[in-house]
Amino acid sequence: MSRIGVFICHCGENISRTVDVERVAKAAEKISGVAYACEYKYMCSDPGQNLLKKAVIDQNLDGIVVAACSPRMHEKTFRKAAQSAGLNPYLVEMANIREHCSWVHEDREEATTKATEIVTMLVERVKMNKKLQPITVPVTKRALVIGGGIAGIQAALDIADCGHHVVLVEREPSIGGHMAQLSETFPTLDCSQCIMTPKMVDVANHPNITLHTYSEIENVDGYIGNFQVTIKKKARSVDMDKCTGCGVCMAKCPQKKIPNSFDKDLGMRPAIYVPFPQAVPNTPVIDRENCTYFKSGKCGVCQKVCGPGAVDYTQEDQLVVEDIGAIVVATGFELYSIGEKPKGSAIKGYGEFGHGKIPDVIDGMTFERLASASGPTGGKILRPSDGKEPQQVVFLQCVGSRAREKGISYCSKICCMYTAKHTMLYHHKVHDGQAYVFFMDARTPGKGYDEFWRRSIEDENAVYIRGAVSRLYQKGDKIVVMGSDIALGIQVEIEADMVVLATAVQPRQGADLLAQKLGISYDMYNFYSEAHAKLRPVECATAGVYLAGACQGPKDIPDSVSQASAAAAKVMTLFAKDELEREPIVAKVNDKNCVACFYCKKVCPYGAVEEKEIRDRQGNLIKVVAWVNPGVCGGCGTCQASCPSKSVELDGYTDEQIMAQIEAL
Amino acid sequence: MNNTKENTTPLVDNSYYEAVTTAIRSEARRVMESGEVSAVIGYKSGRRKGSAQPVIISDVSRIDELVFAPTCTNNLSLYLTKAKKEVSKKGKIAIVAKGCDLKALAGLMSESQLKRENLHLIGISCAGVHGSNVKPSEALSAATIARKCRECTVHVPEGVDCIAGTLPQLEQLSALESAELERLEAMSPAGRWAFWKEQFSRCIRCMACRQVCPFCYCEQCLCDRNRPQGVETTPRPAGNMGWHIVRAMHLAGRCAGCAECERSCPMDIPLNLLNRKMANELKELYGQEAGMQPQEKGPLATYKEDDDESFIK
Repeated sequence: MSRIGVFICHCGENISRTVDVERVAKAAEKISGVAYACEYKYMCSDPGQNLLKKAVIDQNLDGIVVAACSPRMHEKTFRKAAQSAGLNPYLVEMANIREHCSWVHEDREEATTKATEIVTMLVERVKMNKKLQPITVPVTKRALVIGGGIAGIQAALDIADCGHHVVLVEREPSIGGHMAQLSETFPTLDCSQCIMTPKMVDVANHPNITLHTYSEIENVDGYIGNFQVTIKKKARSVDMDKCTGCGVCMAKCPQKKIPNSFDKDLGMRPAIYVPFPQAVPNTPVIDRENCTYFKSGKCGVCQKVCGPGAVDYTQEDQLVVEDIGAIVVATGFELYSIGEKPKGSAIKGYGEFGHGKIPDVIDGMTFERLASASGPTGGKILRPSDGKEPQQVVFLQCVGSRAREKGISYCSKICCMYTAKHTMLYHHKVHDGQAYVFFMDARTPGKGYDEFWRRSIEDENAVYIRGAVSRLYQKGDKIVVMGSDIALGIQVEIEADMVVLATAVQPRQGADLLAQKLGISYDMYNFYSEAHAKLRPVECATAGVYLAGACQGPKDIPDSVSQASAAAAKVMTLFAKDELEREPIVAKVNDKNCVACFYCKKVCPYGAVEEKEIRDRQGNLIKVVAWVNPGVCGGCGTCQASCPSKSVELDGYTDEQIMAQIEAL
Repeated sequence: MNNTKENTTPLVDNSYYEAVTTAIRSEARRVMESGEVSAVIGYKSGRRKGSAQPVIISDVSRIDELVFAPTCTNNLSLYLTKAKKEVSKKGKIAIVAKGCDLKALAGLMSESQLKRENLHLIGISCAGVHGSNVKPSEALSAATIARKCRECTVHVPEGVDCIAGTLPQLEQLSALESAELERLEAMSPAGRWAFWKEQFSRCIRCMACRQVCPFCYCEQCLCDRNRPQGVETTPRPAGNMGWHIVRAMHLAGRCAGCAECERSCPMDIPLNLLNRKMANELKELYGQEAGMQPQEKGPLATYKEDDDESFIK
């Protein structure tokens, strides 16, 4: 006969408001096998837990049902409490009478009956529970960081400094990301490259970091502590070991008119190139699509002029497999380009404000390149169409962002601050120029942020106009911007020389595809989802995968760096132990009944099912059966559902338990 | 099961059976004598005139016992799974297979029960076999042919090691089973439910359908389990319905259409109708059906983003 304890929680008033908890407790006492039942206002509180611990010992309980909230919330709490009182934690089950009952019902009578039934079901289930032992799996203490922007670099450096090996994978030929493109940074106006490039060099020189640039993630197998990641190293056409970075090949390349995407297509680059002079690694790549040699088979100049003989046209894409214990995803963002609508985009509003049609309507990043000392104009603000210095510049905020009807409802967070910065940079470089900003409202939370914004208005002469722009068109070499000033209640019309759009921050194209490879979830915009918005902001729901930077949502540099360090700390926590304890909710095969049809193997999403041979003492093969690797099993139960002979069962969710639960109704 | 009004004129000439029998014997002799296989699974004559029964021959001198006749109804793939598990341990085996039997063999290969390299397949150009309750001595005619054979699409097996005989010109017979399926489809769900309820109410749970099915190879059937009990084991309406639903679901997308379940059913329950209905559903929903080649994954072991989920309500 079981001796089960039933503990019913009021959850303050959350449960007791609709459920008569005393009546549930009285009914529970009468269920066969229940030795003890009680109710308490806050079962998860210290006195509540002590009540449970005391009852385990005094009443000699061999199973516990806590009727309270969702197991997602407090199952761990109560299992731990029971364990400290000497009971196997897997003999504790939660009866969810809050989310599944009190919160969704109004009628007290019916809710009380339902709560009693839920408790009864769980009591029958607990009778069938077995004492499970946690599973330990080894941890490979090597981290993978995907993305070499500031977030990825920070995470990689932190983990590497802690003494663990890091593999950093970057899609572009150089690390640096967007921060390397910026001119100055808010709110201190220090030069972005000056603070970024030393970190890039640190990555290159760090003994614990393996850098794969011009590479992408091909495939991810395995599980927390034991991932096998296949990385595709795209053919660089230049031998990284031989190249000295002298740059002769770039100087001699006859193809010099290729728009440089690093400079937002304002500058030109050769077919063999590094994206910018401070690139890490300082090894060029050949852009095979634009290279004369690859297009026609003629040329070959770079190979002839290369002293060390590093140029290799025969290089092919290479696949590298790395054993990894934890993954930090830091793939960053891209700006919503309202010029050309990408295929399959759900966002409306492409081509608005003449973007892509009027050459002097540019986005924020293009302005950064114009203002950057290393940019195509050497830091002079010159408009793209005729290279003249613009005397009036209009900045438009919230282009794409906060426009639910066009498909993006969120605030891109960084635009208010960078537009304020742009007005200052413009004022510093064109002293008699005038900057106008059309804005909805200035969002400046952050240390020193509001002061910075005020400065742009009070000290740097920017005119902020609260209102929207209704129309914008080219008139001669001017752009006429028509809008309303809702503070003054008047219509305004400005003849501008250049217009800068603060376009929305979006996840990288293909972010969803990477998420599918990693098995992590993402929201409707393809931003990666954290496990809990407040309490687990850098972890994914998928164990062993962490998030850093703008791939999770729009973020400025300080936030990205903080999150990167936080993700690194999570990785280090994982690496602090040699073995990892896992929940023993895994599938087990009954060797006797298994007929080796391997339906389980076909349906297993984790690749946890293997073929096992059973042999007699002489080594003769008796039969082949399925075997579930407990380290890999995710406990989803798909195998259990697919097994025709019911020879595989999930511990903690056996057919016997589920049937007992149903039959209790 | 057969329509007595149908024509009793023989569908094929006796020389066809003689030719197939000779071809089986010569191929069996060749592979046995060369030592390529250790045994041949085929048919031999039974005691009643014209009847045939399965035989496993491992002695070359008995090879002339092998025959082919309209009474060679059994699906021999059964002898490679549960019925005679030790057979498959004898090394490479030759097996005589009609088109429908081959589909079962291919399915068993897909489910890791058999390995192609351990089999020598003697395919038969099959004109059809007898239905149930037919006197063995009768010739194959529109009146005696099994209902499944009237609309057979696999007269000549593919992917086998040799084919015995050539298919004679066959008369186009009316598709009785399809017509019956259409009749059921036209019914209301309640009408169909009533039809099957009536059919299954006659079931005596002898489990012949399970024993004769090449795909029911589980060592312990879940319907025999009692802790927890999934399906009531006594022949009562609820348990009968439970068993037949489990059977239909487990065969969906796998059933080779040999209709041995229907032939062996002592209560004449038209089980192949249900098998065919399930196969049609799966073909319609997922575009997959049991074929003569092993498949890597069955339709119910695959998930695709664009799978039809309209049935989830």
